[in-house]
Amino acid sequence: MSKGLQETLFGAAARLTPILICLALWQAVTSLHVADPEFLPSVGAVLEAFYDLAKEKTIFVELGVSLLTAGAGLVSGILIGVPLGAVMALSKGADGFFGPLIKATYSLPKSALIPLFVLWFGVGGITNVLATVLTTLLPIVIYTYHGVQGVPRVFVWSAQAMGTPPATLLRRIILPAALPAILTGVRIALGFAFIVTIAAEMIVSNHGIGKLIFLYGDSGAYNYMFAAVITIVSTAFVADWLLQLATAHILRWQDKAEQHA
Amino acid sequence: MQGVDSCKIVIEGLSKRFDDVLAVENIDLTITAGDFVSIVGPSGCGKSTLLYMLGGFISPTAGRLLADGKTIVKPGIDRGIVFQDYALFPWLTVEQNIAYGLQMKKSSRDEIKETVARYISVIGLGGFEKRYPRELSGGMRQRVALARTFAYGPDILLLDEPFGALDSQTREIMQDELLRLWRTTNKTIVMVTHDVGEAVYLSTKVCVMSKRPGRIIETYTIALQHTESREAVVLSPQYTDVRNKVWLSVRRQVLAAAG
Amino acid sequence: MREVAHRIAPAMGRAFVAVYPLVLVIVVWEAVARAGLIRPLFLPPFSLVVKQLFAVVSNGELFPPLATSLYRTAAGLLIAGVVGIPVGFLMVRSRLVSWFFEPLVALGNPAPKLALIPVFTLWFGIDNVSKIMLVALTTVFPFILSAAQGARSVPISQVWAARAMGSTEFVILGRVVLPASMPALMSGLRVAVPTALLTTFTAEMVAGGGLGGALVLAQRYFESTTVYAYLLVMLLCGYILDVELLRIRHRVLRWHEG
Repeated sequence: MSKGLQETLFGAAARLTPILICLALWQAVTSLHVADPEFLPSVGAVLEAFYDLAKEKTIFVELGVSLLTAGAGLVSGILIGVPLGAVMALSKGADGFFGPLIKATYSLPKSALIPLFVLWFGVGGITNVLATVLTTLLPIVIYTYHGVQGVPRVFVWSAQAMGTPPATLLRRIILPAALPAILTGVRIALGFAFIVTIAAEMIVSNHGIGKLIFLYGDSGAYNYMFAAVITIVSTAFVADWLLQLATAHILRWQDKAEQHA
Repeated sequence: MQGVDSCKIVIEGLSKRFDDVLAVENIDLTITAGDFVSIVGPSGCGKSTLLYMLGGFISPTAGRLLADGKTIVKPGIDRGIVFQDYALFPWLTVEQNIAYGLQMKKSSRDEIKETVARYISVIGLGGFEKRYPRELSGGMRQRVALARTFAYGPDILLLDEPFGALDSQTREIMQDELLRLWRTTNKTIVMVTHDVGEAVYLSTKVCVMSKRPGRIIETYTIALQHTESREAVVLSPQYTDVRNKVWLSVRRQVLAAAG
Repeated sequence: MREVAHRIAPAMGRAFVAVYPLVLVIVVWEAVARAGLIRPLFLPPFSLVVKQLFAVVSNGELFPPLATSLYRTAAGLLIAGVVGIPVGFLMVRSRLVSWFFEPLVALGNPAPKLALIPVFTLWFGIDNVSKIMLVALTTVFPFILSAAQGARSVPISQVWAARAMGSTEFVILGRVVLPASMPALMSGLRVAVPTALLTTFTAEMVAGGGLGGALVLAQRYFESTTVYAYLLVMLLCGYILDVELLRIRHRVLRWHEG
């Protein structure tokens, strides 16, 4: 085994150990009956539930729905938010109009709009997606705005001196230069997307993992509930990790010193 | 005496005010094609402002600027610029950076490939084509920045303290490279620099700017022969003589600004 | 007289510019609703919403749920701060602590803690404790991360100087690391507070109680004006807290250089 591989495996093991310790603690607590199995199903019971759900494909279907909702919300947020943030940074008029609107709605937790959307659209999936879109818009617009604003003017001037027309300037200079900030906003928006999707599914109980969690909790099938919770939490983690990988590749040109923690 | 129309760059009565600060006052300057003009002066005298107005990035408050007889209103492909921090696009590789101006000019793919390859070898960065700027040293980045601007062939080159961030040895090497590029391409260069010695070494004309608000108070025509080695030129009495005169001029302005 | 006008005019002009989109939206809202273009169930006129807001304030309907929500939020934040800030500091000062908590924080941070609402309801009941615990769990992460960032920003020379004077680790944490971390902690607070509010309201919307529960109830009874009124209250809550935070941040950071 090469030294590098050894180090990577060792590093991974070192990072996993605290989690394994917690899992062991969990198992110990249930086995020793320190906690009422009503409140904390054993690791085994949860795994059983997992297996069951996987067999029936339930877990995959509902997870898929949740992912679709969160994904659609995120993508829509990007498609609307990036141009909006860019326009606001480049046009005083746009900034003057949208800025106060954004500042005003900033303090409202967008998940609070879910009941309102239910009033408007009923319990269809559109409610969930709409709530997600509105939630992802905010960080994306804000980070895009700051990213575009922060593009050093020497980049713009150099490009203009080389004869870059305005549309090309936006596409080839401003957006790439703002990309690190935009991707940070996307990462935050991804986290929000999961949160709001789950929240909507729990409140509206139409479909998705949130619905599963809520229904299992309501009916007392706690090991199933835990299984569903762990599923979505792990999925969100993996999604975030994948986004980080993608970001690292897209931004491979970035000077390490400029990267944020 | 050459007529105004045959001058590459004409500056008349140029002034620039930022809010309540007068940066530059009543500048008159003509630059002939093929000239290498350096502008020196104390910090904050407005020399970069003057350069940016030549580039069309800032508009004057009064007076006018002409390039090839046409008024300068905005940046254009006839005037290339190299900034002190090179402003290489960090998300593009070396060869993509150099190719950029040519792409804006809509040159053919083959022409771009050929020109880029030529300049890469001219600046001696063969093997680094696919590297990103973050992987290059200061001197290398500087070379790419110069190559990028020379490659798409603007007649006029504006340099804003291009060697300011380099150590003195790299700086000397780059100065000679710049000289070589200038001589083989016959561009008109306007350079802003802090370094009086550099200005005298490279230029055909050196303009000294006063402290703020900047005016051109003295102009020196340099007639150094660069056929000899750098050592011979730098150690020659002609060079030393002019350099001392210019330095003293600038020094007086520096003291006046501080006093 | 003219002088006064000269000085007020630009300030008024600025205020107008800052606010006109909101005014525009409200005016359009009112006009569209009154014109009957949209059913009042979906979009009651803004004036009626404001009227309802005053009604729930004056008849005492608003305050119990509002107070509950705010209490839960505050308690959760307090716990999260008391736990998270020391953990964050220790993660930078002790390799063991860092080794243990780093994977937990990395795993927990992107995880949607809201998914645990039913779990916490199971463990702690439907009343305050479950919401407080959820808020604490959710906001402990921004506290840990900002405390760690703050601790990392302490110039090592200050720590060495303190140690040279014989200070214990405890004293170093309290008198060197904590003050130096204030800017980072203020930023963390700026994230934690709205997150806490959001968590409280959302948990209440799922499991009942507080303002969130009241909101859902109003929706179930199709009382649209009440729904909008409660939304306005939530908005104002967030806004006021943010303004207060900014003021606190100003005061705290005034003693801080840079």
